Amino acid sequence: MKKCIPAILVLSLWAILTAAAWLLPQKDLSVAERRPLAQMPEIEADAILDGEFMEDFEDYALDQFPLRDRFRQLKSLFHFYALGQKDNNGIYLSQGYAAKQEYPLQTVSVGYALKRLNYVYETYLQDSRVFMAIAPDKGYYLAQPSGHLSMDYETLFAMVQEGMPWATHIDLTQSLNVGNYYRTDTHWRQEYLLSAAGEICEALGVTPPREEDYTLTALEKPFYGVYYGQAALPMEPETLYYLGSDLLRQCSVYDYETGKTGSVYDLSKLESRDLYDIFLSGARSLLTIENPNATTDRELIVFRDSFGSSMVPLLVQDYAKVTLVDIRYIHPDLLGEYLDFHGQDVLMLYSTLILNNSAALR
Amino acid sequence: MVFSSISFLYYFLPAVLAVYFLVPWKWKNGVLLITSLFFYGWGEPKLLALMVFTIVLFYICGLAIARSEKRKKLWLSISVVISVLLLGLFKYADFFISSVNAATGLSLPLLKLALPVGISFYTFQCLSYTIDVYRGNVPPQKNPISFGAYVALFPQLIAGPIVRYVDVARELDSRKSTWQDVSLGLRRFLVGLGKKVILADNFALLMKLFRESGQPSVLFYWMYAIAFTLNIYFDFSGYSDMAIGLGRILGFHFIENFDYPYLSKSISEFWRRWHMSLGSWFRDYVYIPLGGNRVSRGRWVFNILVVWMLTGLWHGAAWNFVLWGLLFAVLLLAEKWIPGLKKLPDALRHGYVLLAVVLSFVLFNAESLSQAGGDFAGLFGFGNLPLVTQETLYYLRSFALLFVLGIVGATPVVKQAGDRIARSKAAPVLEWAWMTALLLVSTAYLVDGSFSPFLYFRF
Repeated sequence: MKKCIPAILVLSLWAILTAAAWLLPQKDLSVAERRPLAQMPEIEADAILDGEFMEDFEDYALDQFPLRDRFRQLKSLFHFYALGQKDNNGIYLSQGYAAKQEYPLQTVSVGYALKRLNYVYETYLQDSRVFMAIAPDKGYYLAQPSGHLSMDYETLFAMVQEGMPWATHIDLTQSLNVGNYYRTDTHWRQEYLLSAAGEICEALGVTPPREEDYTLTALEKPFYGVYYGQAALPMEPETLYYLGSDLLRQCSVYDYETGKTGSVYDLSKLESRDLYDIFLSGARSLLTIENPNATTDRELIVFRDSFGSSMVPLLVQDYAKVTLVDIRYIHPDLLGEYLDFHGQDVLMLYSTLILNNSAALR
Repeated sequence: MVFSSISFLYYFLPAVLAVYFLVPWKWKNGVLLITSLFFYGWGEPKLLALMVFTIVLFYICGLAIARSEKRKKLWLSISVVISVLLLGLFKYADFFISSVNAATGLSLPLLKLALPVGISFYTFQCLSYTIDVYRGNVPPQKNPISFGAYVALFPQLIAGPIVRYVDVARELDSRKSTWQDVSLGLRRFLVGLGKKVILADNFALLMKLFRESGQPSVLFYWMYAIAFTLNIYFDFSGYSDMAIGLGRILGFHFIENFDYPYLSKSISEFWRRWHMSLGSWFRDYVYIPLGGNRVSRGRWVFNILVVWMLTGLWHGAAWNFVLWGLLFAVLLLAEKWIPGLKKLPDALRHGYVLLAVVLSFVLFNAESLSQAGGDFAGLFGFGNLPLVTQETLYYLRSFALLFVLGIVGATPVVKQAGDRIARSKAAPVLEWAWMTALLLVSTAYLVDGSFSPFLYFRF
């Protein structure tokens, strides 16, 4: 019997986990992964006969397992440090940054993105000055030095340059470095974007943002970026800052989806799953920023992804009106119903992540 | 339901064990039958009827064979013909039809029937039962509940080992499970779980990355081939360990299925160490009845070719499996006919077996003959393939430790170390520590969603 004590202890642990799995109340969502969790499926004869119930139950059992985040953390730690794996589910750690290994370059996806942007240009923008800026993901700075795989950025840039001959291309790669990105998130940090914003403003022919015009405000709530949950590693949360100014405070933002007018920094998003959503309210199909203090009556239209949300506030200074369009959420054919294209300045600002995974572009 | 799933580990198994150990002895086989049918129905609700039909068919045939000396051959034939027909219908019909279509240019429609999980395993178990009853090796099981429990017994139902009725007949009627059985069974189960979840599934990850590769290289092809060789070993032997461990917890002593096959110095030795329950099944129920090796040389070659073609077909209804089986037939014949092979140094013989096995598994794992051809071309650098790429080096660095663990784990080194530790004073603490670690880390991998079905389910 004495020899059986180790087995009895293990069985006890197993029994405790089993009891917890059976008895603990189910949770609605995973904060770390920013997704709803599978719920106990209803027992129905049809669902049982076609196996749907069993599949749903497997999902439920996985999602509702007790200490789920701790177990995911244990897996990550074991994967990295015991098995010596260089990445876990495609996420790697380097210099304290968690990043997704964006590999390989999906030339078909880049081609599709170029096709959609060309369609937008040909439909609406032939009278406009169009600029294209690519926001590099942090893998551009992080992957090679740490020996990880990354997409072939130079080929991507060349493809975009060649595929958009009607645009003036702005290189942001020299204005940024890995320190300008969140450690736990995909995005860049707004407080470090003045140099990159300056590059864009110079190309557009407007006044670049000056550091002294802004005040840095920190959110009290800790920021857990999207990789925090995906990496499932014991990383510290970050502080999210935003650059405020009197000019930005007096700007109003009209949301075509809700019909409501708000502000550039939407502090109601402090309660959302993703604090990055405070920048222009997060994922929105169509927004217009009215700037009553603009020094000109010029207008800017920005076709963008989420990287644009934190960049655009730094570009509005001289523009009376800036419109932000995200063609992941609105089909370009519908734009004519909402916007009047009459030769405004146009900036296309897309991250390498979206160009390499462009299926969502409409 | 698979063993390496949260639903099995934390819902099904605890519930089954609780009921099994609480009920009196006379109900235990009933509990096993009902829970095993639930286990099977969980994954194959519509094919549960086939399982029940198989149980009833073989139960009746077994009794009839024993009761009627005159007609026992007829009843044996009925059991063999019906089960082979069912196996043929569900597993081989579409292969046969598509082969006919390809050969004749016809367009006969495919049946597209779902393959019942584990049909090859439980059909072979049932066949061994009626054949052994026919031969007088074992009396028939009179209790339908006990017979049903044997056929459907969830630990070995869907991926073996192929447990013959004769080996568990006594334990079906009378068995006990002591704390020592539970302890040993739990240990064996957790070893199997770790083999499957930590090793096999991570090798499977590398194989997936290889297939998605944008920069294939000769080295990457070899990494893939070795990864699959280790993947299939840890996957299948891990399942067998879990099955044997669960059987032990329930009071059964199942036969071993693996004995460090990658240590073999000949192909015949390899097959004495790999999937032993299948090899011995074909030997006892096909090869020897065909005359074995006590026949003319021509007939013996024929016997070898038949047995190995069937072994290949047993693994899957596709030409690559047939060729895989025949490859081993050729290698076995070569070993018999080239006496010089046995005189080679051990290292060379070992190397030859490993190379043959690795290459055979490339054929085995190919989805088609053309993919197999492409894989072999890649392994030997045809098509201007680079020797190595940046991507390959990355994955080599990332998976290097896993390869080391896999290679060491495929030898008795770990077991020997475990035995040494078991004799030390710290044995109880260390045993608790590694069992706890295996349970928690395996659970962690499963919770992270790396769900992956066992390879041998498709057989």
